[in-house]
Amino acid sequence: SMAENREPRGAVEAELDPVEYTLRKRLPHRLPRRPNDIYVNMKTDFKAQLARCQKLLDGGARGQNSCSEIYIHGLGLAINRAINIALQLQAGSFGSLQVAANTSTVELVDELEPETDAREPLTRIRNNSAIHIRVFRVAP
Amino acid sequence: MSNAKERKHAKKMRNQPTNVTLSSGFVADRGTKYHNGGGRHFHQAQKQEPFPGTSRQRQTKMTHHSPVDPDVKEQSSSKIMFKKKGGWKAGPEGMSQEIPKYITASTFAQARAAEISAMLKAVTQKSSNSLVFQTLPRHMRRRAMSHNVKRLPRRLREIAQKEAEKAVHQKKEHSKNKCHKARRCHKNRVLEFNRRQKKNIWLETHIWHAKRFHMVKKWGYCLGERPTVKSHRACYRAMTNRCLLQDLSYYCCLELKGKEEEILKALSPMCSIDAGLTFAAVHCLSGKCQGSVLLYRANRYPREMLGPVTFIWKSERTPSHTSESRQLWIWLHPMLKQDILEELKAACQCVEPIKPTICTPGPLLTTSEEKSQTELPDEKIGKKRKRKDDGENAKPVKKVIGDGTRDPHQPSSWISAATGIIISDLTMEMNRLRLIGPLSHSILTEALKAASVQTVREGEDTEKTPHHWWIETCKNPDSVSLHHRQEAIFELLGGITSPAEIPSGTILGLTVGDPRINLPPKRSKVLPNPEKCQDNEKVRQLLLEGVPVDCAHSFIWNQAICKNVTENKISDQDLNRRRSELLVPGSQLVLGPQESKIPILLIQQPGKVTGDDRRGWGSGWDILFPKGWGMAFWIPFIYRGARVGGLKESVMHSQYKRSPDIPGDFPDCPAGVVFAEEQAKNLLEKYKRRPPAKRPNYVKLGTLAPFCCPWEQLAQEWESRVQAQEEPSVASSPSGEDSDSRRDKLPCAPTPENTDLWSDEGGTSLSSCSEPREAMDTECPARVGTEWVACQDATGSLLCVLRSRKWLKQLSTWCGPSSRDKRAARRASGSGEPAPTRAACLPLLERFPRALVWVSLALLRKGSPEPHSMICVPTEEDFLRLRQDQLYCGPQESKHSDPFKSEIRKQKERKKVEKRQNKQAPTEREGLAGGPPAAGHQALTLGLWSGPLPGVTSHCSRVLLGFVTQGDFSMAVGGGEALGFVSLTGLLDMLSTQPAAERGLVLLRAPASPQYRFARIAVEV
Repeated sequence: SMAENREPRGAVEAELDPVEYTLRKRLPHRLPRRPNDIYVNMKTDFKAQLARCQKLLDGGARGQNSCSEIYIHGLGLAINRAINIALQLQAGSFGSLQVAANTSTVELVDELEPETDAREPLTRIRNNSAIHIRVFRVAP
Repeated sequence: MSNAKERKHAKKMRNQPTNVTLSSGFVADRGTKYHNGGGRHFHQAQKQEPFPGTSRQRQTKMTHHSPVDPDVKEQSSSKIMFKKKGGWKAGPEGMSQEIPKYITASTFAQARAAEISAMLKAVTQKSSNSLVFQTLPRHMRRRAMSHNVKRLPRRLREIAQKEAEKAVHQKKEHSKNKCHKARRCHKNRVLEFNRRQKKNIWLETHIWHAKRFHMVKKWGYCLGERPTVKSHRACYRAMTNRCLLQDLSYYCCLELKGKEEEILKALSPMCSIDAGLTFAAVHCLSGKCQGSVLLYRANRYPREMLGPVTFIWKSERTPSHTSESRQLWIWLHPMLKQDILEELKAACQCVEPIKPTICTPGPLLTTSEEKSQTELPDEKIGKKRKRKDDGENAKPVKKVIGDGTRDPHQPSSWISAATGIIISDLTMEMNRLRLIGPLSHSILTEALKAASVQTVREGEDTEKTPHHWWIETCKNPDSVSLHHRQEAIFELLGGITSPAEIPSGTILGLTVGDPRINLPPKRSKVLPNPEKCQDNEKVRQLLLEGVPVDCAHSFIWNQAICKNVTENKISDQDLNRRRSELLVPGSQLVLGPQESKIPILLIQQPGKVTGDDRRGWGSGWDILFPKGWGMAFWIPFIYRGARVGGLKESVMHSQYKRSPDIPGDFPDCPAGVVFAEEQAKNLLEKYKRRPPAKRPNYVKLGTLAPFCCPWEQLAQEWESRVQAQEEPSVASSPSGEDSDSRRDKLPCAPTPENTDLWSDEGGTSLSSCSEPREAMDTECPARVGTEWVACQDATGSLLCVLRSRKWLKQLSTWCGPSSRDKRAARRASGSGEPAPTRAACLPLLERFPRALVWVSLALLRKGSPEPHSMICVPTEEDFLRLRQDQLYCGPQESKHSDPFKSEIRKQKERKKVEKRQNKQAPTEREGLAGGPPAAGHQALTLGLWSGPLPGVTSHCSRVLLGFVTQGDFSMAVGGGEALGFVSLTGLLDMLSTQPAAERGLVLLRAPASPQYRFARIAVEV
């Protein structure tokens, strides 16, 4: 979801001369990760991410260290995949898992690096949608 | 009996009592003689192995010689033989027909006496490398035999005694005849440490490192290369998820002081806006950000590169009287220092050295004086030492802080009368630690606490207290409010999970308290505090706008304050004593006004800025603080869970960031050339240490330069290659010289001449491409060999690395989608980035005829590249097979013939003959050894190309494009990744011929492997 093209495009291109600025996208601000937080991306294999969630919910060999709830976060393009993972988990659980989704807007920072000495570096804020799905166990 | 068994037996029996073995030997000898039935006697050449097995063996060996020897009839002959060979000769017993008729008693007795004495000598002397007790059979060995002679059989004691004495003599004598306890005593240790860091500079964390790292002497420093524990992967994890700590105090700092315009005017010829921002970039000039710049010799851009540096301007506290006197720090790698310092001095016209007593008074001089005072008596005899020690107790030995190797009379700063600029060398005047990874924020905020503001009652005299500078500062309300603002921003950092979220190069100044005071009792791991991480407006502002300019101010820029801070540090001993005197053990130590206040400077280091993936990987903070405080900051960081890396980890860091490593990846700067030479020397030594059969034969593998990359030859050959291709087309078209008309003609549809050339070059099939290539093969070596030598002398400086940002951006779009992201690939192929046409490349090629480009390579399938791997151009057939077979790994290089092998064999034979001749006539040896043939072939090594290299580009079946300088399996990507340089001309040539779908695919081949593997090339800006 974070991998985007390098060249300034769209709105930015219209306003700023690419000769004078280079666009660099900064990492989204994130909160410290708990063990049961999973950030979904588009680069890792879908199956691997699904298995990771399943493993967290199932715990070890005798069910120790299993989480009663996990949070799946997806940003931008990865929203689809986050939903997909959550639904797959639910479908494979024979009714023991429930999902609850929250959406939010994440502020992303684009850095504009000057190509000439006389310009100050600029930052712009762009909004992107995000989803946070809580997958939790219910008593059957 | 097998040979080995015999030898074992012989060894076992060597020191056995003579009477037993001799008699049995004689019996056996007789027996064999009878068995053989030969009426011939035999000689035994050996001295002391009269055992059945060996003697029989010897006998068979000697049969060649025995017929030559005349039959023995006289004892005199036996005597002669004995003298000559040093052995004894068995008499002709048992053979009736050869029994002499008479013997002379005296000569007979004499001969026997000599034999007996020889035997006795042989028995008492031993002739092997092993110790006496080692030759005893196992059942006769006893515990502690090696140091207790009495445990040995009596007959061997004498020999063992001698051996033991010898061993004692061989034992290394201690340099000082001090006992272990005396050597461990603190004062003596400090003296010893001071002595040892006279040659190579020690960092303040040296002792800590020396206990845990493999140390190397590099660039005049003793540096930790890599941890002794197995930690390659752990260090990668630390950089990615936690925190990796490095001591970068060996980096050099040069200070420029003077008027802003003057400094900028002097420095502007040394850098170019074409290669990135310069010293004059507004955000750097204000002191808000750290900048980085590539330095060249004045007005020589793009050639004669000096090296990459980072710089910080001191922020102006009061912008009203600007540009009056500014301070600029240039931080650089120690290997680049000499060149850059000279060039800076020339650029600023700083020629007059300032007397070192003015600029570096105090600590350095006094320590060296004291050192010499205290070291002198040490060299005298031990008798007087004790008294001397008592005398010295009053004046404790001072540890060397900073540069211990510097001559105190050597100038370290220079002034210019014309421009008023002062250049000072601040090397080792400050410590620089680097924290890499997302946890560095937590570690910093946890370990460092802002200094408490100190208020003074009216009556107190502030001048006498050790930290009066801080008291003075606290009197000024502006300074206090600035300090509070800095503290607030520093505390905010704890709520930011990654340093990559902060604007790159941000500078934050701060004054902190003594970090040793709140040291946790045990080593622990800090975790980010979620409470601090609440989204608030302040954090948002910090992320967007960075640290305000005035908060970049730090007292570290003031030399006098730094000196004060260094001198007034409470020693660890004092601190621990106070801690032990606490009423409640383990409670917080409060030093109050006596606590040191240390000015520090925090600089954000951007991680990976180029490319699309893993943005911000490896970002972190550098922390600068005055010298003397190294360990006081080091240990608290480690106690908060930072893992320490060495030089190898910094190479890994730069490799994963895909940034060039300093100085190895700067082939156009003098330091890079020196580095490459050293590396080649080490690799060659390592290669020669292996036996020829156990090392790759690079000649047969077609690897011409396995240890160093012949950049200049590569660039030059590509230039002539492309010229050779162009010549016919220019000749055939009359208007060919006019570049404008060609630009109209050439672009999308190549002219007929061109298509012919390109297809020949690319090779549509093996049969069609083999012919021109062979022609080139035969023609290139001779031509290039001569040209190459000439070019090295005259125009060697033509080589440069393309660093123009404009052209690099253009190149990166030409190279096609740089990431393996499918969307990007689709978009690129859909929109169809145009292939670089000849016309478009022409201005670039004209400006940089022999240039290299820094590229990154990602392997398509398996394989992990190595340094010095070759980057080659794939042929049409390779693409065809790749299209047909998704799992196709790549072509293989066929075996080359080794033209040097016969030469080496001949040389060996010659040597053998020589040896034989020498044996026969030792007097002639001098004449033979000095002969020219022997000397001329000394350089040959089996498996390496000797002499001038033939054409490197066309030596193998695939045309060579460049070399890899760093390459490994990347744990971040999960595949092989490499970084290296390719010839610009070659790259453009390759891109223009490749079809759009496969544009940017190259082949990689490790020096010791015939297998080519596919990789995607990318130019990242």
